[in-house]
Amino acid sequence: MTEPVFELDNVTHRFHGPPVLSDVSLRIDTGERVALVGPSGAGKSTLLNLLNGSLSPTQGAVRVLGRDLAALSAQALRHAQRQVGTVYQQFYLVDNLAVIHNVNAGRLGHWPLWKSLLSLVWPQEVEAARQALNQVGIPEKLYERTASLSGGQQQRVALARVLAQNPVAFLADEPISNVDPERARELMDLLREVCQTMHKTLFITLHTLDFARSHCDRILGLRHGRIAFDVPVSQLTTTMVDELYRVN
Amino acid sequence: MEQTLGHESTLPTRAAPHAARPARLNPRWVWGGLALLAVAWALTQAGLGERALVNPGGWVLVEEFLRAGLRPDLHPEFLRLTVSASLTTLAYAVCGAFLNVLLGLLGGVLASEVWWQSLFPRRAARAPWLAVRAALVIPRSIHEIIWGLFFVNILGLDPLTAILGIAIPFGAITAKVFAEILDETPREPLQALLNNGAPPLPAFLYALFPPALPNLLSYAFYRFECAIRSAAVLGLIGAGGLGYEILLSFQALRYEQMWTFLWALLALTGLVDLLSGLLRRRLGMETRYTCNDWEAAPAPRRDPALRAALLVSAILVPLAFIYLRVEVGELFTPRAARLFGDVVRDSFPPTLNPELLTHLSHATLQTLALSILAIAFAGVGGLLLAFPASANFLRPGGILDTGRRPSRLRQTLSLGVLAFTRAFLLICRAIPASVWALLFLFVLFPGLLPGALALGLYTLGVLGRLMAETIEGLDERPLRALKTLGASGPQVLAYGALPRTAPHFIAYGLYRWEVCARETVVVGVVGAGGLGRILQEQLSSFDYRGVATTLIFFIALTLTVDLVSATARKAIR
Repeated sequence: MTEPVFELDNVTHRFHGPPVLSDVSLRIDTGERVALVGPSGAGKSTLLNLLNGSLSPTQGAVRVLGRDLAALSAQALRHAQRQVGTVYQQFYLVDNLAVIHNVNAGRLGHWPLWKSLLSLVWPQEVEAARQALNQVGIPEKLYERTASLSGGQQQRVALARVLAQNPVAFLADEPISNVDPERARELMDLLREVCQTMHKTLFITLHTLDFARSHCDRILGLRHGRIAFDVPVSQLTTTMVDELYRVN
Repeated sequence: MEQTLGHESTLPTRAAPHAARPARLNPRWVWGGLALLAVAWALTQAGLGERALVNPGGWVLVEEFLRAGLRPDLHPEFLRLTVSASLTTLAYAVCGAFLNVLLGLLGGVLASEVWWQSLFPRRAARAPWLAVRAALVIPRSIHEIIWGLFFVNILGLDPLTAILGIAIPFGAITAKVFAEILDETPREPLQALLNNGAPPLPAFLYALFPPALPNLLSYAFYRFECAIRSAAVLGLIGAGGLGYEILLSFQALRYEQMWTFLWALLALTGLVDLLSGLLRRRLGMETRYTCNDWEAAPAPRRDPALRAALLVSAILVPLAFIYLRVEVGELFTPRAARLFGDVVRDSFPPTLNPELLTHLSHATLQTLALSILAIAFAGVGGLLLAFPASANFLRPGGILDTGRRPSRLRQTLSLGVLAFTRAFLLICRAIPASVWALLFLFVLFPGLLPGALALGLYTLGVLGRLMAETIEGLDERPLRALKTLGASGPQVLAYGALPRTAPHFIAYGLYRWEVCARETVVVGVVGAGGLGRILQEQLSSFDYRGVATTLIFFIALTLTVDLVSATARKAIR
């Protein structure tokens, strides 16, 4: 059978204190669109950061495309990380660079150093960057300063950066919690469209269930660092939801 | 154009409207080109390629001098002298910084737009406001050492000479900065009090000063750092303290003794930098100052360290005045008044003979070249050293490190590099530019080059630290985002760290160029040429009419540099 995109094996993670994630096992296959939901503090962001390799688990193994991240050298880790593109809640763009450089930043894992340096002076692969911006609907902003864009447009640039990276899987950390409902819907539509047409995997943390239901095909509930449920959207029940968000 | 995109499948393409590639001829490139031309011009002024610049015979002396650094004179009696010289320098700095704050507060209120608007709410009172601001330009343009030389002629070698030498130019700069802080502080609470009929001054004290206080305090502490350096420099004109002793032992070729003083100066400067840096960090604004400007910072919390610092200041200030035996009355004796009147009378009208004017025009260009070379040297050096001197660069998890497991070797190596570069920068800025100039004169023939290198090295110490603090203040999350998408260390540097810091670097560089233009005087007085040399000669021969002319040239030069710097900063923002 084909390799799962992500695989977590009995993963426990703690930052100085009680575990944030306890004994989480999980498998996500190519083309799945998975929503991770749960109350704040449940460990959603930690789980996401384990998947993109910015954190290493205290116990257990995280495998991306079959490779155990903890066992990789720095260079091999970068190779694996290229296959995972993350969209952050706060975008994390370099806002005094032109949009094109922020989009091209997605290519850094593929480019040799000389090319990335040259591109800052003489932009490289302009057509590809334009194409990525076109996909998110703001091709005309190519040469503008990122800081001069609105919040919604910056988020699109962040998405274009991930498109330029062309990873196997998209991770998104609460991408819609800072935007108005209309922008939220546009962004979720865009993510779904991209994943469907390009057959990418999507793993997204959300704190509302509506979009999880309408835009994903599998829902994971996380509570107190443990997986409370892991079901196809069609099987989600109100009891599960009530139980997930119940206040102690 | 499309080379290696490698999208296996793409979305159905919508017609992409073409965003035109912007023209290459943008302000950044134009200013960059101008800067290169300016440096090239300055190099020809320094005589590069025209005449011999290096004196190879001098290396023996350098070696002898450096050897002496390892065995400074540590006899108890001599150490006692060193301690008392250090205390004198510290006391000058404390008194100077204290008066600076007083003058700054007074001038700051008067130079703020909000004060005049509160006073005359119905009329737009721009005239008095602009008048005060214009009046601050002249004391600000003239360097401490010239003020010092001026007061020597009136007060002799009285402690007040050095204190006023520091306090007057510093006070003018501080007043400008304080005024800007007050003007940028939110006005609504003040307006509410004024609308209820409160008189302007109490309304200021209740509604404008409290929110502005952290910024004001932070800048005042920063000024104290600057005052320590100035106090050492002022020693050179005979005011006593470490600078004076350094010069004396240098002239007597007693390098071991000179080194004792140098080490003491290094320790004093290092300590003050460290404490002031810590305090400003506690106040939540570490990297926001250059000697001429500031940025608004978020309001900090109450802090015991800050209270301790204020308490220590409250004790130190009277102690310093007592230690130096300052007689403020000296300023108001009939003799001082007569001498002051004489100086003013003797300065008019300024000498305008064509010979002097030609001489001064030439010296002005030399001074300009000197400042350009110095800032170019400091800028390039700062860019190279600031990254290794930042705690978040080489260390495990820093900008360059994309691995996750910290290796012991990397940890040790990076700490070593960090300590070394920081110590180097500290040495550069702790030793006054004029002392650097004396040392460069061992191996270089007198001229612009030793002066430029001396000023450049000193500026490198200051600029490198500012740059390193900027790097340490970087938001790490966007950098981490680049790492998680697979970028290598140098790529994170090029696409994350440099673009975010470069605008600050350029702004700091331009500000420091303004400071350099004023500081040319410091190296000028030890023979590096330019207007500083001429000024000193005129002052020591009591040629006040000549001094007035030279000052006009000097002020015109510094104002031009300020203007070019401000225009450049605006253009490339």
